[in-house]
Amino acid sequence: MTGNPYQSHDARILEVKDLTPREKLFTLRFIDPEINESFTFKPGQFVIVDVRGFGEFPISLCSSPTRKGYIQLCIRKVGRMTKFVHKMKEGDVVGIRGPYGNGFPMENMEGSNLILVAGGLGMAPLRSVLWYTLDTGKYEHVWLLYGTKAYEDILFRDEIIHLLKHGETMNCTVKMAYEIESPSCIYLERGFSERVCRGVVTDLFRGESFDIENSYALICGPPIMYRFVIRELLNRKLSPGRIYMTLERRMRCGVGKCGHCVVGTSVSMKYICRDGPVFTYWDALSTRGLI
Amino acid sequence: MRYVKLPSENFGEFFNFLQRLGPTYGPVKEGKTHHFREVKGVSEMDLNYTRTMLPPKKFFVRPRERLFRLENGWWKEEDGERPFVLFGVHACDIHGLKILDKVYLSDPVDPYYSKRRQNAFIVGISCMPDEYCFCKSLGTHFAMDGFDLFLHELPDGWLVRIGSVRGHEVAWENEKLFEEVTDEDLRHFKEFEEKRAKAFQKELPQEGLADMLDLAYNSPVWKKYAEKCLACGNCNMVCPTCRCYEVCDRWVDAYSSVRERRYDSCFMESHGIVAGGHNFRPTRLDRFRHRYYCKSYFDPSSGFNCVGCGRCDEFCPAKIEHVKVLEEVRGSLR
Ligand SMILES: Cc1cc2nc3c(=O)[nH]c(=O)nc-3n(C[C@H](O)[C@H](O)[C@H](O)COP(=O)(O)OP(=O)(O)OC[C@H]3O[C@@H](n4cnc5c(N)ncnc54)[C@H](O)[C@@H]3O)c2cc1C
Ligand code: SF4
Ligand code: SF4
Ligand code: FES
Repeated sequence: MTGNPYQSHDARILEVKDLTPREKLFTLRFIDPEINESFTFKPGQFVIVDVRGFGEFPISLCSSPTRKGYIQLCIRKVGRMTKFVHKMKEGDVVGIRGPYGNGFPMENMEGSNLILVAGGLGMAPLRSVLWYTLDTGKYEHVWLLYGTKAYEDILFRDEIIHLLKHGETMNCTVKMAYEIESPSCIYLERGFSERVCRGVVTDLFRGESFDIENSYALICGPPIMYRFVIRELLNRKLSPGRIYMTLERRMRCGVGKCGHCVVGTSVSMKYICRDGPVFTYWDALSTRGLI
Repeated sequence: MRYVKLPSENFGEFFNFLQRLGPTYGPVKEGKTHHFREVKGVSEMDLNYTRTMLPPKKFFVRPRERLFRLENGWWKEEDGERPFVLFGVHACDIHGLKILDKVYLSDPVDPYYSKRRQNAFIVGISCMPDEYCFCKSLGTHFAMDGFDLFLHELPDGWLVRIGSVRGHEVAWENEKLFEEVTDEDLRHFKEFEEKRAKAFQKELPQEGLADMLDLAYNSPVWKKYAEKCLACGNCNMVCPTCRCYEVCDRWVDAYSSVRERRYDSCFMESHGIVAGGHNFRPTRLDRFRHRYYCKSYFDPSSGFNCVGCGRCDEFCPAKIEHVKVLEEVRGSLR
């Protein structure tokens, strides 16, 4: 059977890096050089990771398509399969199929400001956007507003600190809010008093003026975050069509067959895997249950 | 469309020919219900049936099927699909398959489904509705395509509509079994269809249905029925358009494992659970309502996700009636 969409391709783990006690960054390369060469994607898309004999699960691509030859996945250990993957080492092989989903419309947003709002693990897909904007240089100014629980939970900490220090030279402003106080956080807050604070991600909007007319917002985080962030953006008169969010649902097939990710009602039903996972706020207004 | 007549006395021989195309499945009566089973002769079938318990979807989307076999760490694809004949499929079930086609044959094509679809020779058959049927109100009581041959009952045989190239080929090869359709046959055909149209006892008014249901999202009627519902998922299993599936890997011995998929039901609590136990449809009310919204979703190119076969009513242990729920929900708006 050729062209079986459920058939994954072998990818070798090149590197495993601990990001936090719960999250690891896996760098992978497809074993078949042709696939490795041709594999490309859009920030916001995801793949299905196939751990043979154990099952499959969806994970966002957190590297950027501008960097060829490898992909990166940031995987949080939450259950049976992710625990298994966390035990894997350099040189081990997993299956990868995809990329799936629509991704962010990066080309349409060229020349605009991007306001990236990340909560927790939502940092993973937005890191792909961030890298993409920095690598292509086609965007006016990029803000990253990142809300995290504690210092130990900061994903891609080195990169975040680097951008806190040097971001402005690349038209990139990084701001971070943490919830749990610790000496490291206080140290960070002292160093970057204008950009690091104790609080939640919406606190980072305070005192920031965006050129709203020329901006897009890209949001990814836990379900409860969306409502608050969207309210903040709407208050600032950002058009609902310029608010993009990426959503999570249970997924099995990733290609619009298994029915698990379907949301909506009789007038509008969407498959998160195929019609999303990126939606605008207009979509949320017309499809019940999206957020 | 080409129309020919199959006289009663040639029916057996025609059926014998079909059996040469591959294993033939037809409606067989077992106890009080009908099921599609493999049949070796006409006499095993009961063609005077209203609905089988499981619709013919079971031949295309299997209740449980193997996608891959894992050997020494590598996936091997399963093979072994053969041509087969589905005999005596009703119009609503043909429409049900067309809705499955929209999903499984759209890009990316599901190769398992697609292969079985190509392998199937489908013979439709006319029927009379019972108290559960409401296909006429949904326009799914008559099939214009989606079959190879369709048999309409006449007093002395069958009026046969030929719906595909393969149907033509079969009719061609068996030319001696068929006759030209006479004016009298046409009169009988028309009479049958008129009698049938009058026999429907139930209808689901479509006008504005999708919007009305959406507007009635918070209707207390959903809650009333959700409390009655046992969440058994029977209605999902028997529905010709329900198609959710779950996938799991299973070790068969220490060295090899298989990846299987099987029917899933949106009534199960696990249907919307994601990592960490967060559930996007946590209550039975959420899940009950979801099924009705899914069935009433209107796609401009294929209509509703319900073909009015009445299975969910007949096989619901809580005696919940599909049309009644929808009408009451709509009524609660007024
Ligand atoms: C589009 C998308 C992107 C994602 N991106 C990331 C990411 O970048 N990093 C990350 O760590 N996690 C991500 N997730 C979540 C990740 O898929 C789940 O954490 C993972 O499936 C959990 O599997 P488990 O067996 O370890 O967990 P368990 O809690 O043991 O899972 C129980 C069962 O539920 C299933 N399940 C749980 N959550 C999901 C889910 N969201 N989709 C489908 N099945 C699920 C599991 O497969 C398993 O069978 C993403 C999810 C989606 C839908
Ligand atoms: S919802 Fe009920 S009546 Fe409609 S197609 Fe499914 S089983 Fe038949
Ligand atoms: S068959 Fe009836 S009781 Fe069972 S889940 Fe469906 S509606 Fe509920
Ligand atoms: S994940 Fe299967 S339909 Fe979306």
